Amino acid sequence: MAVDITLLFRASVKTVKTRNKALGVALGGGVDGSRDELFRRSPRPKGDFSSRAREVISHIGKLRDFLLEHRKDYINAYSNTMSEYGRMTDTERDQIDQDAQIFMRTCSEAIQQLRTEAHKEIHSQQVKEHRTAVLDFIEDYLKRVCKLYSEQRAIRVKRVVDKKRLSKLEPEPNTKTRESTSSEKVSQSPSKDSEENPATEEHPEKILAETQPELGTWGDGKGEDELSPEEIQMFEQENQRLIGEMNSLFDEVRQIEGRVVEISRLQEIFTEKVLQQEAEIDSIHQLVVGATENIKEGNEDIREAIKNNAGFRVWILFFLVMCSFSLLFLDWYDS
Amino acid sequence: LLGFKSVNSCSKKQVALKRMLNFNVPHIKNSTGEPVWKVLIYDRFGQDIISPLLSVKELRDMGITLHLLLHSDRDPIPDVPAVYFVMPTEENIDRMCQDLRNQLYESYYLNFISAISRSKLEDIANAALAASAVTQVAKVFDQYLNFITLEDDMFVLCNQNKELVSYRAINRPDITDTEMETVMDTIVDSLFCFFVTLGAVPIIRCSRGTAAEMVAVKLDKKLRENLRDARNSLFTGDTLGAGQFSFQRPLLVLVDRNIDLATPLHHTWTYQALVHDVLDFHLNRVNLEESSGVENSPAGARPKRKNKKSYDLTPVDKFWQKHKGSPFPEVAESVQQELESYRAQEDEVKRLKSIMGLEGEDEGAISMLSDNTAKLTSAVSSLPELLEKKRLIDLHTNVATAVLEHIKARKLDVYFEYEEKIMSKTTLDKSLLDIISDPDAGTPEDKMRLFLIYYISTQQAPSEADLEQYKKALTDAGCNLNPLQYIKQWKAFTKMASAPASYGSTTTKPMGLLSRVMNTGSQFVMEGVKNLVLKQQNLPVTRILDNLMEMKSNPAIVFVVGGGNYIEYQNLVDYIKGKQGKHILYGCSELFNATQFIKQLSQLGQK
Repeated sequence: MAVDITLLFRASVKTVKTRNKALGVALGGGVDGSRDELFRRSPRPKGDFSSRAREVISHIGKLRDFLLEHRKDYINAYSNTMSEYGRMTDTERDQIDQDAQIFMRTCSEAIQQLRTEAHKEIHSQQVKEHRTAVLDFIEDYLKRVCKLYSEQRAIRVKRVVDKKRLSKLEPEPNTKTRESTSSEKVSQSPSKDSEENPATEEHPEKILAETQPELGTWGDGKGEDELSPEEIQMFEQENQRLIGEMNSLFDEVRQIEGRVVEISRLQEIFTEKVLQQEAEIDSIHQLVVGATENIKEGNEDIREAIKNNAGFRVWILFFLVMCSFSLLFLDWYDS
Repeated sequence: LLGFKSVNSCSKKQVALKRMLNFNVPHIKNSTGEPVWKVLIYDRFGQDIISPLLSVKELRDMGITLHLLLHSDRDPIPDVPAVYFVMPTEENIDRMCQDLRNQLYESYYLNFISAISRSKLEDIANAALAASAVTQVAKVFDQYLNFITLEDDMFVLCNQNKELVSYRAINRPDITDTEMETVMDTIVDSLFCFFVTLGAVPIIRCSRGTAAEMVAVKLDKKLRENLRDARNSLFTGDTLGAGQFSFQRPLLVLVDRNIDLATPLHHTWTYQALVHDVLDFHLNRVNLEESSGVENSPAGARPKRKNKKSYDLTPVDKFWQKHKGSPFPEVAESVQQELESYRAQEDEVKRLKSIMGLEGEDEGAISMLSDNTAKLTSAVSSLPELLEKKRLIDLHTNVATAVLEHIKARKLDVYFEYEEKIMSKTTLDKSLLDIISDPDAGTPEDKMRLFLIYYISTQQAPSEADLEQYKKALTDAGCNLNPLQYIKQWKAFTKMASAPASYGSTTTKPMGLLSRVMNTGSQFVMEGVKNLVLKQQNLPVTRILDNLMEMKSNPAIVFVVGGGNYIEYQNLVDYIKGKQGKHILYGCSELFNATQFIKQLSQLGQK
């Protein structure tokens, strides 16, 4: 258990101050001291780097607060989408997603910039290390905040996927005879049998948009007395069916989105790994190139050595032959 | 339920350190917290304390960008708070004052490993005033952490100045009173810090007439002084400490090394103790010299340099935690098993690769695909775990191989078996003289150890003629006879004390042929190395503890004045495993292996 002796320290400072005053030692003690302190601190370079770093951190903090604030709405409203559109429409969610992404991109660019600039003026090894570490921390912070965002996103997507799976377990909505009044919208919608075909995104939205005003006009246009009970029933069933279709299309699209998100996450991981390996492969490549060069040179050297050897032998042979000829000559000369 | 978990001094210390690093505010892990960065400055004492507990990565996680030695050249880094963790010695204080004058950092958080005196505090205050930096000194703390925790239940006093408190320092005949006082003060200071960290006042028991008694008396005095001052007492601290141990005070057993000199010399068979004995192992770090094997290097080629590798054996290493007390053959088998399970997992991941090729139009395939993407994601995210596992397996393979090489070269299993027999007074099948004269069984040191154990454990000293014979054999084998001198003196001294404790009964069952057959499948071919099975035996220290611990399950702390080793530690751990609900901590003033101990003995014998 640690003991806080800060107060003791401050007391010692006071004692030393009074002692110095008493001894008349003016080593910056007393009133001047505090002024000196203020004065001395301001010309110290405040550190361009650290103020910028703190700026980036405050930005990321803002993003985080923003995400956390809307997080409850983002996730919660999803449980009651069908009855009312919740406190947050999907467009709003998309807006949040987009904004968050832009923000994250700008933050990471700022960090990159800081990184390149950080090493320019400073020569001290320790300061360089310190700055690199600080930038690593900031990046880590950004990653954590991004994780918040992607978690939200993943939850949203997962719910859609789960809903789709659950909806598969329900019996398929049976085909009903279509009423002429609603035939327009119905003919536009794809047939129920091809529920599995992934439809384009605008299609359900267009239909959704169309059904909405039509439903609206329905409510306003005709009075209740004019509709016969069978008609009412049929219209209701029609409505149910249509809503079911729209939902399923909706869900399919979301599911695809979910899959794409997962794939992109995997892709990210793989790219990271591949990039890492790239660096290693580059270095291996360099080494291999160097090795081939060396081997080539080695071969050359060996060839030369062989040649020299051979040449040497030739000379020796020649010398011996000359010697023997000269001997013969001398012998002939003498006799 | 509060009491026993927190006898874990290691985690308590970690908590204390983390708190200190977090500007002395309790550290909460917040995943979306803003990064705060700081610089850590320590001296060698601080380094020894921090390095077994926190790895560089963990320091990073706490926001530490740089960690530097106090007495190194440090450049000014603006806008950064600095956390100091040093001993309050003269040089350190001077250097800190210099830092204050040079205005190296923005703010200073000073933490002293043991309590700082008032006058030194005033020195710092003076320097701070002179440098107009008083407001920069944000906090000053006395950390009371002047001990090194190596394991959850083991601690050592210090590493830097261990000659000061070594066995030799305490037992040398020419020691003056003042020197003894200094040594005792150092030990008591560290023990005091230990109990402050633990947050409990112990009940002290010690053996009479030894250095341990002196330590006990001083420690008792210090604790009483502190408790008397109820306002400032360190033991009625915040939160954790209060009341927790009021009904269960831990038992501190102070033991002197001299009651049992045989155990430090003993050859051992458990993993951790072997690593300590045979390789260069301290502060949880083992340094291996990797030889480049017996390859045929072409004549004229430059000899390959042996590269040194060092490994950290930490609490995070699950394999180490599980097997550090196991007999060595078991360790070898377990490494094999781990390797196999790792390979199985690797294959699993590879198998998922083939599933990636599955692309179907039908619904079944699509749902299966989405399941498989989930599987794949989980497999990819479990890759770091797998890599970590592989790293640990490699580490232990290397360490175990190194140990095995030593065992084979020095025939340590033979020594172990023989010593066990000596210490348990069963009949010896081979004569001692034979082993000593055997040229390729072990280094001269091993033989010396064996002989000393024999000398210590026999009831009656061997006759002069026998002794001369042994001495001659030992000198032939290349041993230095100085330790023997000292042991003779020691034996004469302790003759008046109770007879050297017997070491309990033990049987070792060499499993010979069967074990060889079993082990040929494993990578570690332990041919010719007997697979010895250890039977539980209690060393003297354990037996003392056993006598003192009553039926109540107080946590107990055994402290050996004069030095300890892993064999005793392991013995205590094994002893406590059988009993439920009891906790033991083992501490010593220094940790030495047999080589170092023999050196000390020979120095003592020279005088």
